Amino acid sequence: MLRYAAGRLVQAAIAVLGVLTIVFIVMRFSGDPTLLLVPEGSTQEAVDALRKQLGFDRPVVIQYLDYLQSLGRFDFGISVVQRIPAIDIVASRVPYTVMLALGALAVALFVGLPAGIAMAVWRGGWLERCLSALALTGQSLPTFLSGMLLIIVFGVVLGWLPTSGAGDIRALILPSIALGALSMSTFARMARIAIIDELGKDYVRAARARGLSKAGAVERHVLRNAAIPVVTVAALEIGNLLAGAVIVETVFAWPGIGQLAIQSIQSRDFLVVQVIVLLISIVYVLTSLLADLVYALLDPRIRLAS
Amino acid sequence: MSALPAPGAATPRRKTRRVQPAVPLAIIIVAAILVLIVGLALLAPWIAPADPTRQTLLMRLKPPGSVSSAGQLYLLGTDDLGRDLLSRILYGSQISIAVAFLSVVVSTVVGVSLGMAAAWFRGWVETLIMRFVDIMLSIPAVLLAVLTVAVLGPGFLKLILVLALTRWPRYTRVAYAQTLQVANLPYIKAAELAGARTLRILFRHVLPNIAGPLLVVATAEFGLMILFEAGLSFLGLGIQPPAPSWGSIMSVGRQYVERAWWIVAFPGACLFLLVFSVNVLGDWLRDKLDPRSRSR
Amino acid sequence: MKRLSLAAAILACLIAPAAAQATKDVLTIDAPNDAATLDPHLQWDADSYGVYRNIFDNLVTRDASGKIVPQIATAWRTLDDTHVEFDLRTDVKFHDGTALTADDVVFSVKRITNPDLKSSQLSQFNQIVDAKAEGPGKVVLTTQSPYPVLLAQLVKLSIVPKAYVERVGDQEFNLKPVGSGPYKLREWQKGVQATVDAVDTYWRGKPPFKTVVFRAVPDVSTRIADLKTGRADLVRLLPPDEAIALKKEPALNVLTVPTERVGYMFINAQAGPTTDLKVRQAIAYAVDKQGIIDALLQGLGKPVNSIGADPIFGYQADIAGYGYDPAKAKALVKEAKAEGAELTFLTSPAYDRRIVEAIQQMVNDVGLKVNVVMLDHATFLRRRQGTPAEAGQLAIGVWSCACQDADGIIFPLFRTGSTWSKYSNPAFDTAADAARSTLDEAKRMAAYKSAYEVLRQDVPGLGLYQAFASYGARKELQWQPTSNESLFVMDMNWKR
Repeated sequence: MLRYAAGRLVQAAIAVLGVLTIVFIVMRFSGDPTLLLVPEGSTQEAVDALRKQLGFDRPVVIQYLDYLQSLGRFDFGISVVQRIPAIDIVASRVPYTVMLALGALAVALFVGLPAGIAMAVWRGGWLERCLSALALTGQSLPTFLSGMLLIIVFGVVLGWLPTSGAGDIRALILPSIALGALSMSTFARMARIAIIDELGKDYVRAARARGLSKAGAVERHVLRNAAIPVVTVAALEIGNLLAGAVIVETVFAWPGIGQLAIQSIQSRDFLVVQVIVLLISIVYVLTSLLADLVYALLDPRIRLAS
Repeated sequence: MSALPAPGAATPRRKTRRVQPAVPLAIIIVAAILVLIVGLALLAPWIAPADPTRQTLLMRLKPPGSVSSAGQLYLLGTDDLGRDLLSRILYGSQISIAVAFLSVVVSTVVGVSLGMAAAWFRGWVETLIMRFVDIMLSIPAVLLAVLTVAVLGPGFLKLILVLALTRWPRYTRVAYAQTLQVANLPYIKAAELAGARTLRILFRHVLPNIAGPLLVVATAEFGLMILFEAGLSFLGLGIQPPAPSWGSIMSVGRQYVERAWWIVAFPGACLFLLVFSVNVLGDWLRDKLDPRSRSR
Repeated sequence: MKRLSLAAAILACLIAPAAAQATKDVLTIDAPNDAATLDPHLQWDADSYGVYRNIFDNLVTRDASGKIVPQIATAWRTLDDTHVEFDLRTDVKFHDGTALTADDVVFSVKRITNPDLKSSQLSQFNQIVDAKAEGPGKVVLTTQSPYPVLLAQLVKLSIVPKAYVERVGDQEFNLKPVGSGPYKLREWQKGVQATVDAVDTYWRGKPPFKTVVFRAVPDVSTRIADLKTGRADLVRLLPPDEAIALKKEPALNVLTVPTERVGYMFINAQAGPTTDLKVRQAIAYAVDKQGIIDALLQGLGKPVNSIGADPIFGYQADIAGYGYDPAKAKALVKEAKAEGAELTFLTSPAYDRRIVEAIQQMVNDVGLKVNVVMLDHATFLRRRQGTPAEAGQLAIGVWSCACQDADGIIFPLFRTGSTWSKYSNPAFDTAADAARSTLDEAKRMAAYKSAYEVLRQDVPGLGLYQAFASYGARKELQWQPTSNESLFVMDMNWKR
């Protein structure tokens, strides 16, 4: 087990380094930020001078080696746009991203799981159809539209919730719904399949033969066993929620990583993008590693393929 | 659905299995919607009442049913440049569906080939491919798309390339896992021992066996790609103006939601119907093809 | 059922009435982005500028009419072609209590012109080669050569406290700036908002609001929703359609002002079919400027005859422009044998997509074939300022040098060798150079007259409209926005 985990960690580290390299190279091919930074009417000399001062006149290979070297010292560099350490900029956004991811996860879980369970228990009935339609609705509208509609309905027309910002906890509700709707149906489907799967197993059949009702069986036995795949999906979904909120964050002016990422790419703030990508890829590999380990612990029958 | 009196509540809770029709009504309906949408898209050049890019600046933001001074009827109203919304939606469906469909095809071909190769050859091929998949999966898709558009520039083909580039690893994962299971089946082993060529085994014997789960992934991805294209349009990286796609029509129209609801409402409804239908179909396919849920 | 009632209870919590509106002590301004830096010597994008100009004082400033007037400098005189002397106020204090002296002014000039600071604004000040304090209230600036736009550039020079900057270092100063302006920074939540508090002892008088909050709200629809619900009191960058719609709201006010910003179209004279003068002229005749202003800008723009506008020194109001004449345009295209010639129209999300598409159709209608290529802004700039072959044939822009002088517009856009210029005519170069190297206003005006005349003949670009800036504000806010689009809180107040 330990050896397996260690092996996976090494592979993960290589993967993270690979991600950083790919993003570094692609970013540099997309041009540098100099032209965005200088005043519009600047001369070629002024542009070249700033480019040199910022170090973007050097060959990409040299820049890359330089980057790796500072990375080795845990120095993530200074943002050319904001002129403060890139790691500080990203760190200040992490709490917001985590808040939004948790909010969305809560929406997805509290709506998706009960819906999935109900769909499994009353399989084939009208309730299942209604619920599955509901779950799919969340996935069938672009978030820039659903977000806008939420703002207009609950913010402007009804005046119940704030239209934007990150000042108070109530401002978290609408973006959480907009983002959570995407994962909701994933959870509902997962839960439904996992429970149907369990319901078909012999021990449940036996229990039901002894007269236990279907709902009782689900409550007593099935939920715990069906939790395993759901946990796995939830872990992977957290990774998606952390990174996938670009549009929701833009629409709701929520200052998370997603908004920062798109702005940093657009302004070619390379080092900030690198830190974001580093963070997300670490979270991604760790959650998938963790999910695998949890999976293995919960169900010893699963052989860890290495 | 049977024409018998509803058994529902009156029936005692016995194990009387109702005879399930081969294809439920809901699936027939969504399939009909799909056929309708794709049909309208294909027929757009013949049924669209106007040139989708023809602007009339004096007829901006007119509600459905407006008639211009030249006598042209705008059945679904006009957009913010005075273009006929109905024609834009019809032509837009071509682009939205083509982008989604082609990107799914490309990522399926690339992803499945790599996945099968990794599972079949194992060893360093497997390590190389699967670690690369990990790398690609851990770069957020939106970031990768934005970066790629920035480097390659925009355009219809590049959009497909970008979408395929960000999505193929998902197919690789599924194909890999499925091929691992299938590769040990006796008759595949037999084929191998009989000296059949690798390519032949993979495509004649393995592929049909793993096609089911892949089809399920592909349907889910198709809906997602329609939305993804819309999202890229919102970020200004989608299809080139003045060509319409549902995403680009809506990302313009959202600014006018309160004054010109029709600009987002109609393409939004179309997109919703399409994605919803594809998802329902996907769920149904999954239930049909997944051996676990078939067991009951 | 129990669960249902629980759900109802949660719902009831969610729909509790929204908190009472912010008190009148606080003014909230929604901008598209957070300030990039609050160190006024680093970035100068509109969003950073909007915040830090309220924290700092500048050497000189502009009044509502655009005239350069004293701020920290009370008077100035030209000693000779390259030396200007400034008298300074002596009663100004920084927020940390220290007095603003000539040393701080000298330090500010030297700091921003020092390449080690890597300031994006360096090129606006690098004509200044020396700054010297001549006593406590006097500073002499030396320029490399006669530099007519020196004062216009100094409008952008904020004075920073030497002692404080040297003590805390550049990075800390950026995060916790100390200035001498009407507001001092209370808290800067990066990416979210900057909150500033009034300095009651400010030398120009007591600031109007106790606290001002600058929020970052990237999506314009959300900014408008904020304004409607009272979450924001003032929003910047209102698109014309939104401005017209908001005028109907009883609680809101739409403030518009003609700016020094010029909407223009670039026409590549060095690559593609547009190297032919006739094709360029045809394009100029094909564009219905008034139609664009009426339909797309909702009247929030004013037609111009060239790439300039009234508030800009050097603008020639009496020059004949290109009118809308599609028949003539078609004839010219035919004459040039350019029917169906393909033109690339480069653009980015930074520019109004509707205007791009409208122009595309107008130019197509006279027999050319325009392909729009939408790039992300960084790529757009790289190509537009790259070689003539990369730059495409057409592009639009909304140019402002924030200097209200033609030198800041037509020189970078069309002077041979400038990054934006895809055009070369020695006659134009001579005129533009002459206007830049004399301090005599009459001579400069004459030089610009001939420069604009050459541009009219050669059409390497086309002036479309003078842009108006629109702001959405609550009815109670009293403010007259200015043509240089600055956001001085000192000029605002609540209506009594």
